[in-house]
Amino acid sequence: MIGSERIIHGIVASAGAAIGKAVRAFDPLFIPFNSKIRPDQARKEVERFRASVEKSREQLKRVQAELKRKSGPESSFLIDAHLLVLQDRLFVDRIIEKIETSHINAEWAIQQVSDDLFQAYDRLNDDYLRERRGDLEDIVRRLLHNLQAKPLPSFRKLPYDAILIGKAVPPSTLFELRSQRIVGLATETGGPLSHTAIMARSLGIPAVMGVAGLADISSGVFLIVDGDRGVIICMPSGQTVDEYRSRAREDKKLRRKSSGSKVTPCITEDHVRISLGANINFSEEVTAAIASGCESIGLYRTEFDFFSEGKELDEESLTAGYSQVLKSAKGAPVTFRTIDVGSDQKNWDGVNMNFAVRGLRFCLENTDVFKKQLRSLYRASVNGPTRILLPFVSTIDDLDAAREIIAEVRNDLEVRRQPYDPMVPVGVMIETPAAAQTCDLMVSRVDFFCLGTNDLIQYYMAIDRSDQSVAHLYNPFHPAILRCLHQIYALLQPTGKPITVCGEMAADPPSAAVLLGLGFTSLSVSLVAYPRIQRMVCSVSFEQLRELAGQILQMQKPKDVEEMVRRTVYRS
Amino acid sequence: MKEREVSIGHRLGLHARAAAGLVQLATKFQSNVALFRYDTGNPLEADARSILSILLLSAGFGSKVSVRADGVDEDQAIESICHYLAG
Repeated sequence: MIGSERIIHGIVASAGAAIGKAVRAFDPLFIPFNSKIRPDQARKEVERFRASVEKSREQLKRVQAELKRKSGPESSFLIDAHLLVLQDRLFVDRIIEKIETSHINAEWAIQQVSDDLFQAYDRLNDDYLRERRGDLEDIVRRLLHNLQAKPLPSFRKLPYDAILIGKAVPPSTLFELRSQRIVGLATETGGPLSHTAIMARSLGIPAVMGVAGLADISSGVFLIVDGDRGVIICMPSGQTVDEYRSRAREDKKLRRKSSGSKVTPCITEDHVRISLGANINFSEEVTAAIASGCESIGLYRTEFDFFSEGKELDEESLTAGYSQVLKSAKGAPVTFRTIDVGSDQKNWDGVNMNFAVRGLRFCLENTDVFKKQLRSLYRASVNGPTRILLPFVSTIDDLDAAREIIAEVRNDLEVRRQPYDPMVPVGVMIETPAAAQTCDLMVSRVDFFCLGTNDLIQYYMAIDRSDQSVAHLYNPFHPAILRCLHQIYALLQPTGKPITVCGEMAADPPSAAVLLGLGFTSLSVSLVAYPRIQRMVCSVSFEQLRELAGQILQMQKPKDVEEMVRRTVYRS
Repeated sequence: MKEREVSIGHRLGLHARAAAGLVQLATKFQSNVALFRYDTGNPLEADARSILSILLLSAGFGSKVSVRADGVDEDQAIESICHYLAG
């Protein structure tokens, strides 16, 4: 196939086009590799296995210490069981024996021994005990993972203009690669709402996902990733490359233009002021955001910096980091969203295996982590206008628990005589149907609201963000979503509390226009989307969008809604 | 070598928590401690220091288990382990 151009279709995940060379990402969908070893390698293999056991033990000890501090020894017994398996001769010794006598690698030995044990468990008559095989599975997974978790291959040696390709690329990998030489991304799995895609957009890396047949492309192959059309082009012809190069030049010009016309206030044709903030994932993005004229940091997703070193930062370095963010913001308000560990985000040492333990739920289960972050945020708050945002809230009880912790933290600081801003507003993210339905009940407890449309749409439509077979159901123009947003606005508007919409819905001009039409006047979007949303706002009439919203709320099909909105926004 | 029979007094049987406790207790003694179930057709044996083997014993509430200890502190071992199992 050498020399012939090939176009493969995928899903648009992050806009823009990139020309470069394919670099295969290591496969995070881990399939243990079984292999025979030479007899003289057995000792080394046993050592490798023991190191994995030791690493697993340390992780579990840390989890356990956390649990003990939180709720006493009662809850930590399950970890005891895991730890005991790691020292169980029936398990460990047999694996070592397998490695030594069958001359197979540790992965294979672990599977052979655990398969025997699984069979034994399956034969049991006791339902409760049969379920205990889950504990063993958990241990096996941890061991296999730790066996494999060698330091990431050095990406410093990447060629310039590298296009990362692979079955999937976890967001953690992408952020470990930031500021390196990656210009594009293409994956077989995932979709525009995966956290990897969100990350790619905020880093300005063009990305296409859901591309079949990437496995055929080897490292070094010349590639174009077109994140606007959702295709990748293998071995593009000279003519194609020229087309893309000239397009890239134009894009650059447009960007320079928009960054030159710095502080353009976002005002609609009929003079309605729209507040437009920037969403960021990393502290260093603040400077760029402020330099390109963003009026606020509407959402700083703190978990990426919090976990970026792979280990927890202490209170002093967190405080220093947050202070720097506020100083770089030069007086622009910064909304810090407390740690939200999502299902496809970096595991915090495997602690968050449970998909539903997210956002505030995670924080309430790891109060030490939560308190440390809150103390740091309050201490930093003397450096500039700070807002604290609690993610993934679904019950008033959780909210009250968080408020209690905040009160404790403030009390701690007073005892320690450390200065902080007592007026820091505390808000909640509305991103579960439960929160959407009950946001008015939270009014007396919070100072502001943010709308996370990504999760809200996902949970409303009962779909998985990364499952392509249902991806088409993710649609911000669905009547259910429109009604939901309309209801939230109706519930909150009379209270006078500020509401900011900071999901993807705000980042695409047509859906952002719908938000304005529904009454929302504060949006926050990624840096990449900022100029286009700014342009859209300045070109529409708020009054006209309000009328449009009234009409689309009566419509039945997402497709019709979208068509009507596009006609109004683009007036083509 | 000493052996004594005891019936499991933990309401959920030798489940994860009880089994973990048993292993932790058994490792405190120098003697080797084994558990047997003779009421299962084929007699089952478990090493009291191996949580996986204890769980596989599948000893429910009220089931009879024989504790066998062998070593310098076998008396104390039998005593405290039977006491523990009886709940």
